[in-house]
Amino acid sequence: MAGLTALGYISGSGRLHRWDPRFKIVALIMVSLASLGTSLPVLSGACLLMLMVVIRAGVPPGALMRDLKPVVLLLLFIFLARALVTPGEQLFVLGPWPVTREGVIAGAAICSRLLLVLLAGVAVMASTRLSEIKAAVEWFLKPIPGVPEKRVGTMLSLIVRFLPHILDQARETGEAQRARGIENRKNPFYRVIRFSIPVLRRTFLTADQLALAMEARCYADDRTDAELVSDRSDWILMGTTVLLCLCLLMF
Amino acid sequence: MSFIEIRNLCHRFPDGTLGIDGIDLSIEKGEFVVIAGKNGSGKTTLLRHLNGLLTPSNGEVILDGMSVGQDPRRARRIVGMVFQDADSQIVGETVYEDAAFGPENLKLDREAIRQRVVNALAVVALERLSEQRPHILSGGEKRRLAIAGVLAMEPEVVVFDEPFSNLDYDGIRQVLTQMLTLHKVGKTLLVTTHDLEKVITHADRLVILFEGEVVRNGAPADLLEETENFGVRQPCAARLGGEVPSWLD
Repeated sequence: MAGLTALGYISGSGRLHRWDPRFKIVALIMVSLASLGTSLPVLSGACLLMLMVVIRAGVPPGALMRDLKPVVLLLLFIFLARALVTPGEQLFVLGPWPVTREGVIAGAAICSRLLLVLLAGVAVMASTRLSEIKAAVEWFLKPIPGVPEKRVGTMLSLIVRFLPHILDQARETGEAQRARGIENRKNPFYRVIRFSIPVLRRTFLTADQLALAMEARCYADDRTDAELVSDRSDWILMGTTVLLCLCLLMF
Repeated sequence: MSFIEIRNLCHRFPDGTLGIDGIDLSIEKGEFVVIAGKNGSGKTTLLRHLNGLLTPSNGEVILDGMSVGQDPRRARRIVGMVFQDADSQIVGETVYEDAAFGPENLKLDREAIRQRVVNALAVVALERLSEQRPHILSGGEKRRLAIAGVLAMEPEVVVFDEPFSNLDYDGIRQVLTQMLTLHKVGKTLLVTTHDLEKVITHADRLVILFEGEVVRNGAPADLLEETENFGVRQPCAARLGGEVPSWLD
Protein backbone atom coordinates (compact mmCIF):
# COMPACT_ATOMS: atom_id res chain seq x y z
CA MET A 1 0.00 0.00 0.00
CA ALA A 2 1.36 3.39 -0.94
CA GLY A 3 1.82 6.10 1.64
CA LEU A 4 -0.43 9.13 1.81
CA THR A 5 1.01 12.00 -0.20
CA ALA A 6 0.41 15.71 0.26
CA LEU A 7 -0.05 16.23 -3.46
CA GLY A 8 -3.67 15.36 -4.07
CA TYR A 9 -7.23 15.73 -2.90
CA ILE A 10 -7.95 14.98 0.74
CA SER A 11 -11.55 14.40 1.60
CA GLY A 12 -13.07 17.03 3.88
CA SER A 13 -16.05 19.28 4.46
CA GLY A 14 -14.44 22.50 5.74
CA ARG A 15 -14.94 25.98 4.30
CA LEU A 16 -11.95 25.62 1.98
CA HIS A 17 -13.31 22.34 0.60
CA ARG A 18 -16.71 23.91 -0.02
CA TRP A 19 -15.31 27.02 -1.72
CA ASP A 20 -16.19 27.23 -5.42
CA PRO A 21 -13.10 25.97 -7.34
CA ARG A 22 -13.25 28.94 -9.74
CA PHE A 23 -12.71 31.30 -6.79
CA LYS A 24 -9.91 29.10 -5.46
CA ILE A 25 -8.04 29.28 -8.78
CA VAL A 26 -8.48 33.08 -8.94
CA ALA A 27 -7.31 33.36 -5.32
CA LEU A 28 -4.25 31.22 -6.10
CA ILE A 29 -3.33 33.51 -9.00
CA MET A 30 -3.89 36.62 -6.85
CA VAL A 31 -1.72 35.33 -4.00
CA SER A 32 1.01 34.42 -6.50
CA LEU A 33 0.94 37.90 -8.05
CA ALA A 34 0.74 39.70 -4.69
CA SER A 35 3.78 37.77 -3.45
CA LEU A 36 5.86 39.53 -6.13
CA GLY A 37 5.40 42.95 -4.57
CA THR A 38 5.87 42.44 -0.85
CA SER A 39 8.69 42.52 1.69
CA LEU A 40 10.47 39.60 3.34
CA PRO A 41 8.87 39.88 6.86
CA VAL A 42 5.35 40.02 5.37
CA LEU A 43 6.16 37.11 3.06
CA SER A 44 7.37 35.03 6.01
CA GLY A 45 4.13 35.77 7.88
CA ALA A 46 2.09 34.89 4.78
CA CYS A 47 3.97 31.57 4.47
CA LEU A 48 3.11 30.70 8.08
CA LEU A 49 -0.53 31.64 7.50
CA MET A 50 -0.63 29.53 4.32
CA LEU A 51 0.97 26.59 6.15
CA MET A 52 -1.88 26.76 8.68
CA VAL A 53 -4.40 26.81 5.80
CA VAL A 54 -2.72 23.72 4.30
CA ILE A 55 -2.86 21.84 7.60
CA ARG A 56 -6.49 22.92 8.11
CA ALA A 57 -7.22 21.48 4.64
CA GLY A 58 -6.30 18.08 6.08
CA VAL A 59 -2.76 17.63 4.75
CA PRO A 60 -0.73 15.62 7.28
CA PRO A 61 2.37 17.71 8.23
CA GLY A 62 4.59 14.60 8.02
CA ALA A 63 3.49 13.81 4.45
CA LEU A 64 3.91 17.49 3.53
CA MET A 65 7.49 17.52 4.81
CA ARG A 66 8.31 14.25 3.06
CA ASP A 67 6.85 15.21 -0.32
CA LEU A 68 8.26 18.71 -0.33
CA LYS A 69 11.79 17.60 0.59
CA PRO A 70 13.08 17.87 -3.02
CA VAL A 71 11.51 21.34 -3.28
CA VAL A 72 13.13 22.42 -0.01
CA LEU A 73 16.49 21.28 -1.40
CA LEU A 74 15.85 23.30 -4.55
CA LEU A 75 14.94 26.36 -2.46
CA LEU A 76 18.14 25.90 -0.45
CA PHE A 77 20.11 25.82 -3.67
CA ILE A 78 18.41 29.02 -4.90
CA PHE A 79 19.05 30.70 -1.54
CA LEU A 80 22.75 29.79 -1.60
CA ALA A 81 23.13 30.90 -5.19
CA ARG A 82 21.60 34.31 -4.44
CA ALA A 83 23.52 34.72 -1.19
CA LEU A 84 26.84 33.98 -2.90
CA VAL A 85 26.53 35.91 -6.15
CA THR A 86 24.69 39.10 -5.10
CA PRO A 87 27.16 41.96 -4.56
CA GLY A 88 26.89 43.99 -1.33
CA GLU A 89 27.99 44.18 2.30
CA GLN A 90 30.01 41.06 3.18
CA LEU A 91 28.74 39.04 6.19
CA PHE A 92 31.20 36.13 6.09
CA VAL A 93 33.15 34.02 3.60
CA LEU A 94 32.04 30.54 2.49
CA GLY A 95 35.09 28.92 0.89
CA PRO A 96 36.20 31.27 -1.88
CA TRP A 97 32.84 33.11 -2.05
CA PRO A 98 31.68 36.03 0.11
CA VAL A 99 28.15 35.84 1.53
CA THR A 100 26.50 39.27 1.41
CA ARG A 101 23.68 40.78 3.46
CA GLU A 102 21.85 41.81 0.26
CA GLY A 103 22.26 38.29 -1.12
CA VAL A 104 20.85 36.66 2.00
CA ILE A 105 17.82 38.99 2.00
CA ALA A 106 17.21 38.53 -1.75
CA GLY A 107 17.61 34.74 -1.47
CA ALA A 108 15.25 34.51 1.50
CA ALA A 109 12.67 36.68 -0.29
CA ILE A 110 12.72 34.54 -3.44
CA CYS A 111 12.50 31.32 -1.44
CA SER A 112 9.62 32.65 0.69
CA ARG A 113 7.80 33.77 -2.46
CA LEU A 114 8.15 30.33 -4.09
CA LEU A 115 7.19 28.59 -0.85
CA LEU A 116 4.07 30.74 -0.49
CA VAL A 117 2.92 29.93 -4.04
CA LEU A 118 3.73 26.25 -3.52
CA LEU A 119 1.78 26.06 -0.25
CA ALA A 120 -1.17 27.87 -1.82
CA GLY A 121 -1.10 25.31 -4.64
CA VAL A 122 -1.01 22.42 -2.16
CA ALA A 123 -3.99 23.95 -0.29
CA VAL A 124 -6.00 24.19 -3.53
CA MET A 125 -5.10 20.65 -4.60
CA ALA A 126 -5.86 19.18 -1.18
CA SER A 127 -9.27 20.82 -0.97
CA THR A 128 -10.50 20.49 -4.56
CA ARG A 129 -11.58 17.38 -6.41
CA LEU A 130 -9.99 16.87 -9.79
CA SER A 131 -13.38 16.94 -11.47
CA GLU A 132 -13.98 20.39 -9.92
CA ILE A 133 -10.58 21.69 -11.08
CA LYS A 134 -11.33 20.33 -14.52
CA ALA A 135 -14.77 21.94 -14.60
CA ALA A 136 -13.34 25.28 -13.39
CA VAL A 137 -10.56 25.27 -16.01
CA GLU A 138 -13.13 24.48 -18.69
CA TRP A 139 -15.31 27.34 -17.41
CA PHE A 140 -12.40 29.81 -17.68
CA LEU A 141 -11.34 28.60 -21.13
CA LYS A 142 -14.81 28.37 -22.65
CA PRO A 143 -15.02 32.02 -23.83
CA ILE A 144 -11.62 31.79 -25.57
CA PRO A 145 -12.17 30.85 -29.23
CA GLY A 146 -10.05 28.06 -30.69
CA VAL A 147 -9.16 26.50 -27.34
CA PRO A 148 -10.51 22.92 -26.86
CA GLU A 149 -11.46 23.56 -23.24
CA LYS A 150 -12.70 20.02 -22.51
CA ARG A 151 -9.45 18.49 -23.72
CA VAL A 152 -7.29 20.98 -21.83
CA GLY A 153 -9.34 20.34 -18.67
CA THR A 154 -8.86 16.59 -19.01
CA MET A 155 -5.12 16.92 -19.63
CA LEU A 156 -4.73 19.13 -16.60
CA SER A 157 -6.73 16.85 -14.32
CA LEU A 158 -4.76 13.81 -15.50
CA ILE A 159 -1.44 15.52 -14.79
CA VAL A 160 -2.60 16.25 -11.25
CA ARG A 161 -3.98 12.72 -10.89
CA PHE A 162 -0.69 11.21 -11.99
CA LEU A 163 1.63 13.20 -9.75
CA PRO A 164 1.39 10.80 -6.77
CA HIS A 165 1.70 7.82 -9.12
CA ILE A 166 4.84 9.22 -10.78
CA LEU A 167 6.31 10.04 -7.35
CA ASP A 168 5.65 6.45 -6.27
CA GLN A 169 7.32 5.10 -9.39
CA ALA A 170 10.29 7.41 -8.88
CA ARG A 171 10.57 6.25 -5.26
CA GLU A 172 10.43 2.56 -6.29
CA THR A 173 13.02 3.08 -9.04
CA GLY A 174 15.29 4.93 -6.61
CA GLU A 175 15.00 2.13 -4.04
CA ALA A 176 15.70 -0.55 -6.68
CA GLN A 177 18.79 1.34 -7.82
CA ARG A 178 20.07 1.89 -4.29
CA ALA A 179 19.60 -1.86 -3.69
CA ARG A 180 21.99 -2.40 -6.62
CA GLY A 181 24.60 0.02 -5.30
CA ILE A 182 23.96 3.12 -7.44
CA GLU A 183 25.35 5.19 -4.58
CA ASN A 184 28.81 3.83 -5.37
CA ARG A 185 28.71 5.75 -8.64
CA LYS A 186 29.82 9.27 -7.83
CA ASN A 187 29.09 10.82 -11.25
CA PRO A 188 25.77 12.73 -10.81
CA PHE A 189 25.06 12.73 -14.56
CA TYR A 190 25.35 8.94 -14.71
CA ARG A 191 22.97 8.66 -11.74
CA VAL A 192 20.46 11.11 -13.19
CA ILE A 193 20.41 9.32 -16.55
CA ARG A 194 20.13 5.87 -14.95
CA PHE A 195 17.28 7.13 -12.80
CA SER A 196 15.30 9.18 -15.29
CA ILE A 197 15.16 6.73 -18.21
CA PRO A 198 13.28 3.94 -16.34
CA VAL A 199 11.02 6.46 -14.59
CA LEU A 200 10.12 8.10 -17.92
CA ARG A 201 9.61 4.72 -19.59
CA ARG A 202 7.29 3.56 -16.80
CA THR A 203 5.41 6.87 -16.88
CA PHE A 204 4.81 6.64 -20.64
CA LEU A 205 3.71 3.00 -20.38
CA THR A 206 1.28 3.88 -17.59
CA ALA A 207 -0.04 6.78 -19.66
CA ASP A 208 -0.66 4.39 -22.58
CA GLN A 209 -2.51 1.95 -20.34
CA LEU A 210 -4.55 4.76 -18.85
CA ALA A 211 -5.58 5.98 -22.30
CA LEU A 212 -6.79 2.45 -23.13
CA ALA A 213 -8.64 2.15 -19.83
CA MET A 214 -10.34 5.52 -20.40
CA GLU A 215 -11.35 4.48 -23.89
CA ALA A 216 -12.74 1.20 -22.51
CA ARG A 217 -14.95 3.27 -20.21
CA CYS A 218 -16.37 5.29 -23.12
CA TYR A 219 -14.33 8.44 -22.50
CA ALA A 220 -15.42 11.37 -24.67
CA ASP A 221 -15.06 15.15 -24.48
CA ASP A 222 -18.80 15.53 -24.06
CA ARG A 223 -19.54 14.11 -20.62
CA THR A 224 -21.34 14.97 -17.38
CA ASP A 225 -19.09 17.45 -15.59
CA ALA A 226 -19.07 18.62 -11.99
CA GLU A 227 -21.63 21.32 -11.25
CA LEU A 228 -20.21 24.70 -10.29
CA VAL A 229 -22.39 26.74 -7.97
CA SER A 230 -21.32 29.83 -6.06
CA ASP A 231 -23.16 31.61 -3.27
CA ARG A 232 -22.71 34.66 -1.02
CA SER A 233 -20.19 32.96 1.30
CA ASP A 234 -17.94 32.24 -1.69
CA TRP A 235 -17.90 35.96 -2.51
CA ILE A 236 -17.23 36.89 1.13
CA LEU A 237 -14.22 34.54 1.19
CA MET A 238 -13.05 36.00 -2.11
CA GLY A 239 -13.34 39.53 -0.67
CA THR A 240 -11.26 38.47 2.34
CA THR A 241 -8.60 37.06 0.01
CA VAL A 242 -8.53 40.30 -2.00
CA LEU A 243 -8.04 42.27 1.24
CA LEU A 244 -5.20 39.98 2.34
CA CYS A 245 -3.54 40.34 -1.06
CA LEU A 246 -3.82 44.14 -0.82
CA CYS A 247 -2.18 43.95 2.64
CA LEU A 248 0.63 41.89 1.09
CA LEU A 249 1.15 44.57 -1.57
CA MET A 250 0.99 47.51 0.85
CA PHE A 251 3.58 46.25 3.33
CA MET B 1 -26.67 -16.53 -33.14
CA SER B 2 -24.65 -16.39 -29.90
CA PHE B 3 -24.35 -13.22 -27.83
CA ILE B 4 -20.66 -12.88 -28.77
CA GLU B 5 -19.56 -14.28 -32.14
CA ILE B 6 -15.89 -14.09 -33.01
CA ARG B 7 -15.28 -14.90 -36.67
CA ASN B 8 -11.85 -15.60 -38.17
CA LEU B 9 -10.32 -12.88 -35.99
CA CYS B 10 -6.71 -11.98 -36.81
CA HIS B 11 -4.54 -9.24 -35.38
CA ARG B 12 -1.12 -8.26 -36.65
CA PHE B 13 0.86 -5.69 -34.64
CA PRO B 14 2.64 -2.78 -36.38
CA ASP B 15 6.00 -4.59 -36.06
CA GLY B 16 4.59 -7.51 -38.07
CA THR B 17 4.08 -9.92 -35.15
CA LEU B 18 0.90 -11.97 -35.38
CA GLY B 19 -1.00 -11.52 -32.10
CA ILE B 20 -3.99 -13.75 -32.85
CA ASP B 21 -4.65 -15.84 -35.91
CA GLY B 22 -8.03 -16.96 -37.24
CA ILE B 23 -9.94 -17.22 -33.97
CA ASP B 24 -13.52 -18.51 -34.16
CA LEU B 25 -15.44 -18.52 -30.90
CA SER B 26 -19.06 -18.22 -29.75
CA ILE B 27 -20.06 -17.19 -26.25
CA GLU B 28 -23.60 -17.41 -24.94
CA LYS B 29 -25.25 -14.90 -22.63
CA GLY B 30 -24.58 -15.70 -18.96
CA GLU B 31 -21.64 -18.01 -19.64
CA PHE B 32 -18.53 -18.04 -17.45
CA VAL B 33 -15.60 -18.66 -19.78
CA VAL B 34 -11.97 -18.96 -18.77
CA ILE B 35 -9.43 -18.20 -21.50
CA ALA B 36 -6.09 -19.71 -20.59
CA GLY B 37 -2.71 -19.53 -22.24
CA LYS B 38 0.89 -18.81 -21.49
CA ASN B 39 2.35 -15.29 -21.73
CA GLY B 40 2.18 -13.97 -25.28
CA SER B 41 -0.48 -16.48 -26.39
CA GLY B 42 -2.85 -13.66 -27.42
CA LYS B 43 -5.27 -13.56 -24.46
CA THR B 44 -5.15 -9.80 -23.88
CA THR B 45 -5.16 -9.08 -27.61
CA LEU B 46 -8.30 -11.17 -28.00
CA LEU B 47 -10.07 -9.37 -25.14
CA ARG B 48 -9.24 -5.94 -26.56
CA HIS B 49 -11.11 -6.80 -29.74
CA LEU B 50 -14.32 -7.43 -27.81
CA ASN B 51 -14.84 -3.74 -27.10
CA GLY B 52 -13.05 -2.24 -30.07
CA LEU B 53 -9.88 -1.15 -28.30
CA LEU B 54 -8.02 -2.90 -31.12
CA THR B 55 -9.07 -3.10 -34.74
CA PRO B 56 -8.74 -6.54 -36.36
CA SER B 57 -6.44 -7.08 -39.31
CA ASN B 58 -8.99 -9.59 -40.50
CA GLY B 59 -12.32 -11.05 -39.31
CA GLU B 60 -14.78 -9.47 -36.92
CA VAL B 61 -16.49 -9.65 -33.54
CA ILE B 62 -20.30 -9.58 -33.54
CA LEU B 63 -21.75 -8.41 -30.27
CA ASP B 64 -25.46 -8.95 -29.74
CA GLY B 65 -26.06 -8.93 -33.48
CA MET B 66 -23.87 -5.97 -34.45
CA SER B 67 -20.23 -5.80 -35.47
CA VAL B 68 -18.00 -4.13 -32.85
CA GLY B 69 -16.29 -2.11 -35.61
CA GLN B 70 -19.61 -0.53 -36.60
CA ASP B 71 -20.13 1.11 -33.22
CA PRO B 72 -17.24 0.71 -30.74
CA ARG B 73 -18.94 2.95 -28.13
CA ARG B 74 -21.92 0.58 -28.06
CA ALA B 75 -19.49 -2.31 -27.64
CA ARG B 76 -17.83 -0.55 -24.69
CA ARG B 77 -21.21 -0.06 -23.02
CA ILE B 78 -21.94 -3.79 -23.39
CA VAL B 79 -18.47 -5.13 -22.57
CA GLY B 80 -16.84 -3.79 -19.41
CA MET B 81 -13.15 -4.51 -19.09
CA VAL B 82 -11.16 -4.91 -15.87
CA PHE B 83 -7.50 -4.45 -16.77
CA GLN B 84 -4.59 -6.40 -15.36
CA ASP B 85 -3.01 -3.33 -13.75
CA ALA B 86 -5.68 -1.72 -11.61
CA ASP B 87 -3.42 1.26 -10.87
CA SER B 88 -3.42 2.44 -14.44
CA GLN B 89 -7.18 1.97 -14.72
CA ILE B 90 -8.04 4.29 -11.85
CA VAL B 91 -8.60 7.88 -12.94
CA GLY B 92 -10.59 9.38 -10.07
CA GLU B 93 -9.23 11.33 -7.14
CA THR B 94 -11.52 9.47 -4.75
CA VAL B 95 -13.12 6.02 -4.85
CA TYR B 96 -16.53 7.57 -5.58
CA GLU B 97 -15.15 9.79 -8.32
CA ASP B 98 -13.43 6.88 -10.02
CA ALA B 99 -16.56 4.74 -10.03
CA ALA B 100 -18.46 7.74 -11.46
CA PHE B 101 -16.05 8.15 -14.40
CA GLY B 102 -17.85 5.69 -16.70
CA PRO B 103 -21.43 6.90 -16.04
CA GLU B 104 -20.23 10.51 -16.53
CA ASN B 105 -18.92 9.49 -19.94
CA LEU B 106 -22.38 8.11 -20.72
CA LYS B 107 -23.77 11.64 -20.06
CA LEU B 108 -26.17 10.45 -17.37
CA ASP B 109 -27.68 13.00 -15.01
CA ARG B 110 -26.15 13.50 -11.55
CA GLU B 111 -28.81 11.51 -9.68
CA ALA B 112 -28.55 8.52 -12.04
CA ILE B 113 -24.75 8.63 -11.68
CA ARG B 114 -25.01 8.73 -7.89
CA GLN B 115 -27.40 5.77 -7.89
CA ARG B 116 -25.16 3.68 -10.13
CA VAL B 117 -22.01 4.50 -8.16
CA VAL B 118 -23.66 3.70 -4.83
CA ASN B 119 -24.90 0.37 -6.20
CA ALA B 120 -21.56 -0.54 -7.78
CA LEU B 121 -19.58 0.30 -4.64
CA ALA B 122 -22.05 -1.73 -2.56
CA VAL B 123 -21.56 -4.79 -4.81
CA VAL B 124 -17.79 -4.72 -4.26
CA ALA B 125 -18.17 -3.68 -0.59
CA LEU B 126 -16.28 -0.42 -0.97
CA GLU B 127 -19.05 2.01 0.01
CA ARG B 128 -17.28 2.63 3.33
CA LEU B 129 -14.22 3.90 1.47
CA SER B 130 -16.05 6.09 -1.06
CA GLU B 131 -14.22 9.28 0.00
CA GLN B 132 -10.82 7.54 0.25
CA ARG B 133 -8.01 8.24 -2.22
CA PRO B 134 -7.64 5.19 -4.51
CA HIS B 135 -3.88 5.64 -4.45
CA ILE B 136 -3.67 4.35 -0.88
CA LEU B 137 -5.99 1.33 -1.20
CA SER B 138 -4.60 -2.19 -0.95
CA GLY B 139 -4.10 -4.29 -4.10
CA GLY B 140 -7.36 -6.22 -3.56
CA GLU B 141 -9.31 -3.03 -2.88
CA LYS B 142 -7.91 -1.39 -6.02
CA ARG B 143 -8.95 -4.40 -8.10
CA ARG B 144 -12.43 -4.23 -6.54
CA LEU B 145 -12.59 -0.52 -7.36
CA ALA B 146 -11.67 -1.31 -10.96
CA ILE B 147 -14.58 -3.78 -10.99
CA ALA B 148 -16.91 -1.16 -9.47
CA GLY B 149 -15.84 1.33 -12.17
CA VAL B 150 -16.90 -1.19 -14.79
CA LEU B 151 -20.11 -2.24 -13.01
CA ALA B 152 -21.26 1.38 -12.75
CA MET B 153 -21.58 1.33 -16.53
CA GLU B 154 -23.97 -1.63 -16.18
CA PRO B 155 -22.37 -3.82 -18.87
CA GLU B 156 -23.81 -7.20 -19.85
CA VAL B 157 -20.39 -8.76 -20.29
CA VAL B 158 -17.52 -8.31 -17.83
CA VAL B 159 -14.06 -9.19 -19.03
CA PHE B 160 -11.23 -9.74 -16.54
CA ASP B 161 -7.65 -9.64 -17.80
CA GLU B 162 -5.43 -11.66 -15.41
CA PRO B 163 -7.53 -10.61 -12.41
CA PHE B 164 -5.45 -12.44 -9.80
CA SER B 165 -2.02 -11.12 -10.71
CA ASN B 166 -0.17 -9.38 -7.85
CA LEU B 167 -2.89 -10.22 -5.33
CA ASP B 168 -2.45 -11.98 -2.01
CA TYR B 169 -4.69 -14.87 -0.90
CA ASP B 170 -7.27 -12.57 0.63
CA GLY B 171 -7.30 -10.31 -2.44
CA ILE B 172 -7.81 -13.32 -4.74
CA ARG B 173 -10.75 -14.52 -2.66
CA GLN B 174 -12.32 -11.06 -2.69
CA VAL B 175 -12.06 -10.77 -6.47
CA LEU B 176 -13.28 -14.34 -6.98
CA THR B 177 -16.29 -13.62 -4.76
CA GLN B 178 -17.13 -10.56 -6.89
CA MET B 179 -16.92 -12.67 -10.03
CA LEU B 180 -19.31 -15.29 -8.69
CA THR B 181 -21.73 -12.59 -7.55
CA LEU B 182 -21.74 -11.12 -11.05
CA HIS B 183 -22.22 -14.53 -12.62
CA LYS B 184 -25.11 -15.24 -10.28
CA VAL B 185 -26.94 -12.08 -11.42
CA GLY B 186 -26.61 -13.19 -15.05
CA LYS B 187 -23.55 -11.35 -16.31
CA THR B 188 -21.45 -13.03 -18.97
CA LEU B 189 -17.90 -13.41 -17.66
CA LEU B 190 -14.69 -13.85 -19.60
CA VAL B 191 -11.56 -14.34 -17.53
CA THR B 192 -8.05 -14.67 -18.91
CA THR B 193 -5.44 -16.39 -16.79
CA HIS B 194 -2.37 -18.61 -16.94
CA ASP B 195 -3.16 -19.91 -13.47
CA LEU B 196 -6.27 -22.14 -13.66
CA GLU B 197 -6.12 -23.28 -10.04
CA LYS B 198 -7.91 -20.24 -8.69
CA VAL B 199 -10.93 -20.03 -10.95
CA ILE B 200 -11.47 -23.11 -13.10
CA THR B 201 -13.82 -24.90 -10.73
CA HIS B 202 -16.39 -22.11 -11.21
CA ALA B 203 -16.13 -21.85 -15.00
CA ASP B 204 -18.62 -23.26 -17.53
CA ARG B 205 -16.04 -23.47 -20.29
CA LEU B 206 -12.30 -23.45 -20.83
CA VAL B 207 -10.69 -22.04 -23.96
CA ILE B 208 -6.96 -22.56 -24.42
CA LEU B 209 -4.96 -20.21 -26.63
CA PHE B 210 -1.55 -21.13 -27.97
CA GLU B 211 0.49 -18.93 -30.27
CA GLY B 212 -2.55 -16.83 -31.13
CA GLU B 213 -4.85 -19.73 -31.99
CA VAL B 214 -7.65 -21.50 -30.13
CA VAL B 215 -6.27 -24.99 -29.61
CA ARG B 216 -8.87 -26.34 -27.14
CA ASN B 217 -12.42 -25.26 -26.36
CA GLY B 218 -14.73 -27.26 -24.10
CA ALA B 219 -15.79 -28.30 -20.61
CA PRO B 220 -13.00 -27.67 -18.07
CA ALA B 221 -13.09 -31.22 -16.73
CA ASP B 222 -12.40 -32.62 -20.21
CA LEU B 223 -9.43 -30.36 -20.91
CA LEU B 224 -7.49 -30.12 -17.66
CA GLU B 225 -5.23 -33.05 -18.48
CA GLU B 226 -4.03 -31.37 -21.66
CA THR B 227 -3.28 -27.86 -20.39
CA GLU B 228 0.44 -28.45 -19.81
CA ASN B 229 0.92 -29.27 -23.52
CA PHE B 230 0.20 -25.58 -24.10
CA GLY B 231 2.25 -24.02 -21.31
CA VAL B 232 -0.55 -23.75 -18.75
CA ARG B 233 0.02 -25.45 -15.40
CA GLN B 234 -2.48 -28.17 -14.58
CA PRO B 235 -4.18 -27.56 -11.22
CA CYS B 236 -2.60 -29.60 -8.44
CA ALA B 237 -5.78 -31.49 -7.52
CA ALA B 238 -6.35 -32.47 -11.16
CA ARG B 239 -2.82 -33.89 -11.33
CA LEU B 240 -3.66 -36.09 -8.39
CA GLY B 241 -6.82 -37.23 -10.16
CA GLY B 242 -9.24 -35.33 -7.95
CA GLU B 243 -11.65 -32.45 -8.43
CA VAL B 244 -10.22 -28.94 -8.24
CA PRO B 245 -11.55 -27.33 -5.04
CA SER B 246 -12.80 -23.76 -4.93
CA TRP B 247 -10.55 -21.13 -3.40
CA LEU B 248 -13.59 -19.95 -1.49
CA ASP B 249 -14.10 -23.21 0.42
